Amino acid sequence: MADNNSILSVRNLSVGLEKDPDARIIDDISFDLGGGKVLGLIGEAGSGKTVLARALINGIGSPLIYRGGDVHYQDKNILTIPINELTKIRGNSIGYIGSNPAGALDPTVPIGGQIVEKLRSVNPSMSRKQATDRALEVLTAVRIPSPEVRFHEYPFQFSGGMMQRVMIVDALVTNPSVLIADNITQALDVTVAAQIIRLIQDLRDQFSTAILFISSSLPVVETIADEVMVLQQGKIVEQATPKALITKPKHEYTKSLLSRLPRIWGKDIKGPDAVETPNLMSVEDVHRTYYVRKKGTFRDMNAVQAVRGVSLDIREGENIGVVGESGCGKSTLTRLLAWLEEPQTGTIKFNGQDLSALDQKELTKLRQQFQLLLQDPYSSLPSRMSVGRIIAEPLLIHGIAEGTKLKERVRAAMTEVGLDPSLENQLTVGLSAGQRQRINIARALVLEPKLMILDETLSSLDQVEQSKLFELFDKLQKTHGFTYIFISHDMALVRKVCHRVAVMYLGRIVELAENNTLFENPAHPYSRALLSAVPTLDVHPFKSDEYLLEGEPPSPVHIPPGCSYRTRCPLALEICNRIDPKATMLAGGGQVSCHLVDQDQQAQSEQAATVT
Amino acid sequence: MLSFLTRRLFQGAIVLLIVTFAIFTLLRVVPGDPARLIVGGMAPDEVVVQKAEELGLNDPIPVQFIRYLGDLAQGDLGNSFFRPKSGATVGAAAFDDPSRDERAEVRDLIFERIPLTLQLAGLAVVFALLMSFPLGVAAGLNPGRWQDKLAFFTGSVFVSIPNFWLGIVLAQLFSVQLGILPSLGYKGFEYTILPAFVLAVGISPFIIRTLSVSIAGVMQEEFINVAPLRGLRRARIVAAHAIRNASIPLLNLFGIQLGSLLGVLLVVELIFDYPGLGRLTINAVLQRDFPIIQGVAIFISAAFVFINIIVDLAASYIDPRLEY
Amino acid sequence: MTDTTSTSATPQLTPAELRTPMQRMLREALSRTSFKVGFGMFLALLFGALIYPEISSIDPTKMAVRSRHIPPLFLGEKWVWAHPLGTDHLGRDLLLRCLVGLRYSVMIGICTVILMFVVGCALGLISGFKGKLTDTIIMRITDAQLSIPMIILAITILGISRPTAPAIILVLGLAGWPLYARVARSAALAEKRKEYIKGQRVLGASDWRIITLFVAPAVLPPIAFVAVLDVAAIMIFESILGFIGLGIQPPTPTFGNIIADGRKYLINSWWIATMPGVFLLFTLTSLNLMGSAMENARNNVLKGAA
Repeated sequence: MADNNSILSVRNLSVGLEKDPDARIIDDISFDLGGGKVLGLIGEAGSGKTVLARALINGIGSPLIYRGGDVHYQDKNILTIPINELTKIRGNSIGYIGSNPAGALDPTVPIGGQIVEKLRSVNPSMSRKQATDRALEVLTAVRIPSPEVRFHEYPFQFSGGMMQRVMIVDALVTNPSVLIADNITQALDVTVAAQIIRLIQDLRDQFSTAILFISSSLPVVETIADEVMVLQQGKIVEQATPKALITKPKHEYTKSLLSRLPRIWGKDIKGPDAVETPNLMSVEDVHRTYYVRKKGTFRDMNAVQAVRGVSLDIREGENIGVVGESGCGKSTLTRLLAWLEEPQTGTIKFNGQDLSALDQKELTKLRQQFQLLLQDPYSSLPSRMSVGRIIAEPLLIHGIAEGTKLKERVRAAMTEVGLDPSLENQLTVGLSAGQRQRINIARALVLEPKLMILDETLSSLDQVEQSKLFELFDKLQKTHGFTYIFISHDMALVRKVCHRVAVMYLGRIVELAENNTLFENPAHPYSRALLSAVPTLDVHPFKSDEYLLEGEPPSPVHIPPGCSYRTRCPLALEICNRIDPKATMLAGGGQVSCHLVDQDQQAQSEQAATVT
Repeated sequence: MLSFLTRRLFQGAIVLLIVTFAIFTLLRVVPGDPARLIVGGMAPDEVVVQKAEELGLNDPIPVQFIRYLGDLAQGDLGNSFFRPKSGATVGAAAFDDPSRDERAEVRDLIFERIPLTLQLAGLAVVFALLMSFPLGVAAGLNPGRWQDKLAFFTGSVFVSIPNFWLGIVLAQLFSVQLGILPSLGYKGFEYTILPAFVLAVGISPFIIRTLSVSIAGVMQEEFINVAPLRGLRRARIVAAHAIRNASIPLLNLFGIQLGSLLGVLLVVELIFDYPGLGRLTINAVLQRDFPIIQGVAIFISAAFVFINIIVDLAASYIDPRLEY
Repeated sequence: MTDTTSTSATPQLTPAELRTPMQRMLREALSRTSFKVGFGMFLALLFGALIYPEISSIDPTKMAVRSRHIPPLFLGEKWVWAHPLGTDHLGRDLLLRCLVGLRYSVMIGICTVILMFVVGCALGLISGFKGKLTDTIIMRITDAQLSIPMIILAITILGISRPTAPAIILVLGLAGWPLYARVARSAALAEKRKEYIKGQRVLGASDWRIITLFVAPAVLPPIAFVAVLDVAAIMIFESILGFIGLGIQPPTPTFGNIIADGRKYLINSWWIATMPGVFLLFTLTSLNLMGSAMENARNNVLKGAA
């Protein structure tokens, strides 16, 4: 062994496919994990990260097969020891956390029971009482609120972030000397992911566990690892300290990884400036509440306030971004904007026409002018239709064209979005995500709309494909004068393309500002928190230890009275408990809903309070 | 929980009302005069008219229906047209035979037979589970292997066996040729074994199939895949988690297939001359004893609704994500 | 954390990927041994049922007092080549009677399933897609009908009216549609939530257009694909009806009435009741082997597509 301090040492590990003797998913990998160290592993999707993580603990099966090498934990070769020995190590001395916390535990058994079950499986001498105490102890250590209650709750009652904490407990409860963390922040929102990273950093000192930290995000690995390995197609191409890797990358692949990272802050980084044009769509104080029957009751309803009072003007020809975490009401707002659902109160005007005042026929006609591009390029296209027919469909619905004219228009649209016209008679199976997204764009385009709503439209594409589509959007905007609404959770994307950005929290727009103002000088504390959680290698103006939030957004069923953000706001004032802040106009056209910004409103309501 | 029961019972009541109305109407509009059927073909017309008046058969159907519902609410399912209280079927006795007036109450006829039918159904379910559990679980754990194929083949053959025919053949073999088990009528518990076995052959293909499919599905789940990495042993994973999760589709299947289960039960009882609800029903149909048909149909619907509520409760007990 | 760096080079198109789900299901089903065996058996039986009664010189309903109770080939002492499965108590040829019975049985099975499918799926699609009050009404009726065992309903109606082939088809079909309605409804519900339906709505498509152009073509083929299993189930039902005496009436032979007749002579001429049963068993096994293979194939394809 090269390193005497090494606790897990991997030598020439290779994993292939049963059916193909030459295929290698993991190719000749060797490394040492030192006791108490954090070793980072960065790799893109499909590079073999998860296979490697599982191969280390003898956790692969058909169609994968070991093709050589060994893994030593202390003196034992994990790949060859009998199953009884293995069970003493795996899940006991070596903990494992996967990327999908929601599916990691049996959905029909309370989490506490499953942690106790695991503890007693690897440590049969432990009594049920001891195991329960130990589980509760670690649940407290990962800062899960009221652990005694949550111990008896089921996985579905936990949010993604809380469930990932549970899985951390599950791995750490045996006090392992090695922890394999396989992309554990992938499924989480940025702020929650940042919390988990911080938690891992804290626990690392507390438990003195060596961690193999696997991730697809270099900025994330950089914050936590002592050393980083770069995995490309099953091979480790470079290993260095994070600092060296970023400043002096040696391998070409590392360099290209670095160059593809989106930039958010820096001297040379500026977002587009806002345009001053007339309004195309005006959203005025729209509300949408869903009534969901309470579990196990006859007719008691829970009111889920998904969108509560959103006002927004969309200017002609601009790109406006709507950002926020899961559950903030983005998707509902999207459906309202696309008029797939009607708001309960408030109005949406398109080109001055109130959409709710139109009859079915007029609405169908007006619909041509605002189109929604859906998120998932795979599920958003009908699978049984040819590409040409899909694009022709809107023209047929509205009876705009038929016969040869129809064909011409379809071909023209295909050419315009960069689709090979020879695809016309093909089905969509086998087309790439980018091609599919182009079909989506083409079928919206044939209707010659004015407004396009992009619902996370680009988030499923890789960087290269994303930038190509940006160019396309840009071109279309120039030739057709399109207006775009980007609904997104991806701050880097919004930074790059949007003129103005609206930040949503619990069904409200808490801040609306021009791109540069929002990213460099945000007014709302939530905007700062959101920005602080964005992983980036740029010099971060919002340090996460200063701005990052604890906890998670309240449920839209129980919205706190007063300012809805105050429960998490580090700067909350007494007034925030009582009065819901109104939107304040700021110099430069932005608006923000916060008592800290709006001294006048604060003073006024103070006055009102003293009068009554 | 309580409001769940309220809601489901309310829904069940609506379902029962539809069933009652449908059956009631159906039996009123079909050809055949009940009054004539009761008094017999030999009776003079005046007697028929008088009987019809007595039974209220001349009133409009909605009025009759309301009256029937009223009786139903008091637990009165009416009286059989033919079956006397004493037991023996009234045959071709004269229309003025006094025993004709002493008809058995449908409610009593049904309740007399329930214990035997339950005994038969219960034993059949036990047999079926004993046969299909090992096959289904083994198949689910080894998809594509011989266990899977064996289960597939057994299921395909079992579901193809016409149960009335199997009943005849087994009765011939075990009772007549070998003389091991009795098969006709009911004089003791051993009379239940053969019919229960035939019934079990009818049920088990569905259990085998559902179990093997749902176990195979559960075994693909992330939490099963990750369990060994968390330190659980395979035996524990299968016993405590895979079977637990796979049992929910099985419960639901039971709720849905209950109707066809009862259908098979009917036939099996007829073949083995087993004095349960099924034989009562078929004989009633053949004799056009409308009150019995009506009563049995309503009773079975009620049982169906009730059992489905129990099934849903059980399923949501196992998997609390399911809303009851 | 956003994983924006996924690989998305245009994947190589294999011929398998270019097939529609239905084609893939068919191919997958055809490749299974159980399907081939079942299909072969069924074709042979069907072929026999269609041809043999036509070319045979014997009439299935003709009685021959002298050749009563002849056992099947090679069994007992009196067997003859002319009656491969023996004869019944009236001297009628059993093979011929079974084959004619098979004709009726298969015909009734297929027609009934078509009726069930059409009625059930139409109502289920509407119920699932429209939702709200329409859904509640249709589903309550479905529940009500599911709660009465099909057989009670069938024997009640057939016991009162005259059982002819169309009547049997109508009664069984109307008794059996609720299961199809349920399946079609839940499939339509699932389909309705898919993104591409949302996409069509944004483009301005009407409900009717979405149902006929997208939902029905997506939902119905997988349901139709496993209807073979129900053909077998209906055939059993038909034979039960015949057995109770509520099927097609004698002298026309059906599996049910042959077995019912044969039951009386079990001790001396066991084959009269046994042979049609074996015959029926083979037919049903062939259908069920095919059907289950198709069901497995469908589940595999649908699972892969999800």
